Amino acid sequence: MSDFIAQLNDVGHQYEEGPEIFKKVTFDIESGSFYFLTGPSGAGKSSLLKMLYLGLKPTWGSLRLFGEDPLKMKPSSLPFLRQKLGVVFQEFKLLDYLKVIDNVSLPLRVRGIEARQARKHAEELLNWVGLSDALNVYPSILSGGQKQRVAIARAIVTRPQLLLADEPTGNVDDEIALKLLHLFEELNKMGTTVIIATHNQNLLEKSPNPLLIIKEGTIIKTSPQRKSS
Amino acid sequence: MKNRQDLPLTHDIAARFLPIIVGLMVYLGCLCCVFTFFVFDATHSWKKQLTTHVTIEIPRLPSESSDTLQARVLQLLNKTPGIRQAAAVPQRELESLLTSLVGTTSSMDLPSLPVLIDVALTEEEPIDIENLEAHLKNMDAQIQLMDHRAWQAQVLTLIQATIVLTSTLTLLVLLTALIATKFAVRTSLLIHRHVIDILHLIGATDEYIARQFQIHILKQGLVASTLGAALAFLTFWGIMFLLENIGFSFAFKATFFVQAFCVFTLAPFMTSFFMMFFARHTALKGLYT
Ligand SMILES: Nc1ncnc2c1ncn2[C@@H]1O[C@H](COP(=O)(O)OP(=O)(O)O)[C@@H](O)[C@H]1O
Ligand SMILES: [Mg+2]
Repeated sequence: MSDFIAQLNDVGHQYEEGPEIFKKVTFDIESGSFYFLTGPSGAGKSSLLKMLYLGLKPTWGSLRLFGEDPLKMKPSSLPFLRQKLGVVFQEFKLLDYLKVIDNVSLPLRVRGIEARQARKHAEELLNWVGLSDALNVYPSILSGGQKQRVAIARAIVTRPQLLLADEPTGNVDDEIALKLLHLFEELNKMGTTVIIATHNQNLLEKSPNPLLIIKEGTIIKTSPQRKSS
Repeated sequence: MKNRQDLPLTHDIAARFLPIIVGLMVYLGCLCCVFTFFVFDATHSWKKQLTTHVTIEIPRLPSESSDTLQARVLQLLNKTPGIRQAAAVPQRELESLLTSLVGTTSSMDLPSLPVLIDVALTEEEPIDIENLEAHLKNMDAQIQLMDHRAWQAQVLTLIQATIVLTSTLTLLVLLTALIATKFAVRTSLLIHRHVIDILHLIGATDEYIARQFQIHILKQGLVASTLGAALAFLTFWGIMFLLENIGFSFAFKATFFVQAFCVFTLAPFMTSFFMMFFARHTALKGLYT
């Protein structure tokens, strides 16, 4: 396998009835790295993540994920590429008709893990993010911050190779935000490559990780151990 | 533990009409199929019992010559290829037949009744009926040959048409259940498009999602078609009961009841398995595009 988890080459995107958000974006994500993706609201953070989790096709340019070109793959093979990912969606995308525990164990079941074992894993993780009281409730009654933590638990329950999180601390207070950041860093230490889209300055300052800054349709990559501005 | 479903299919509007249609179709299909077996069996035994294909009528002549004529005719018939059996209808049988038709025979001149000879043909050898008739006319111009095979063939054709019709109906009914399944799955795919997108994004294969439909439809199909078949069985039982009560004399063979039993027990399984495969196929096709 290549040392790059993701490689973008002259990638651009133009929404059919919307703005051109990227012109020619070229960058690589090294295996095991931890990036913050940042930029003003509407810059295209969510759109970039969407391309990485194969929810949005680049209008031009080429994209490689785990050394493979998803645009040239058979559609039936795409799920296996997606199974290497964990995604925290900006709007959570929890399933309202499933209890919290079933929402979190779903990615495991989808990957063929037996239901009882999947539940056990999910329960452990939910305890860890402080939702041990909410295992058997439906997501619709949870607060924004709780939903966010369920979404995070669902994204990491499979120990993904690449974690993509879209504003994962947008709905929680600073204390929980830092706790979650710590969780992401732990995960990163165990080998997961992490990309977090955020405009939470506090979070950016607390972490030494490099940035991907979206600016005027391109992406600027900073090196690690930057000085906080 | 409750069997978990990863798609909320049980709450669909689409899910509600399917069991009703399937139940009704299985009900009709079972009855149609059993009726087909009934007609088929009845025809089979009727054909076996059918021994008279041709009847020859010899007019009553002055008694001596009549008997010799009858003997000569029988002799000719026994020599003719294609004839299995030829026998005169006993005079007493004719009399009782007449009695039952006109009441009393006291005023009748019984000896003037014609002699009837029933002829049974074999299927192995064809008979030259025109040649036979010519020979008979040679013996006596008044001898009549009545060929029943034409109307018998017509009745058989009619019965066979009924069998074709009812088996076609059975198949159409099954097809209706399958088409209803297809539409239900397609509607579900549309209703749950949003959820299916999420499942795809968290790594679900089409196979996994199709399995959800497959299991759901199998369960629904089993419940609905079992109910349909049970109701059909009750209807069948009721009809049998009624027929017996009004003195219907047809002797049902044991094999017919075995066939009917098979229809009622196998129909739910066959229908729901077909539905399951249809659901799977429809889901996979719908997910792919
Ligand atoms: N589905 C869409 N169709 C058209 N325009 C879109 C769509 N999604 C996002 N956009 C536009 O693309 C731009 C980037 O959006 P987004 O990626 O959500 O930015 P961010 O996450 O950085 O706030 C915005 O101007 C937004 O209005
Ligand atoms: Mg966004």
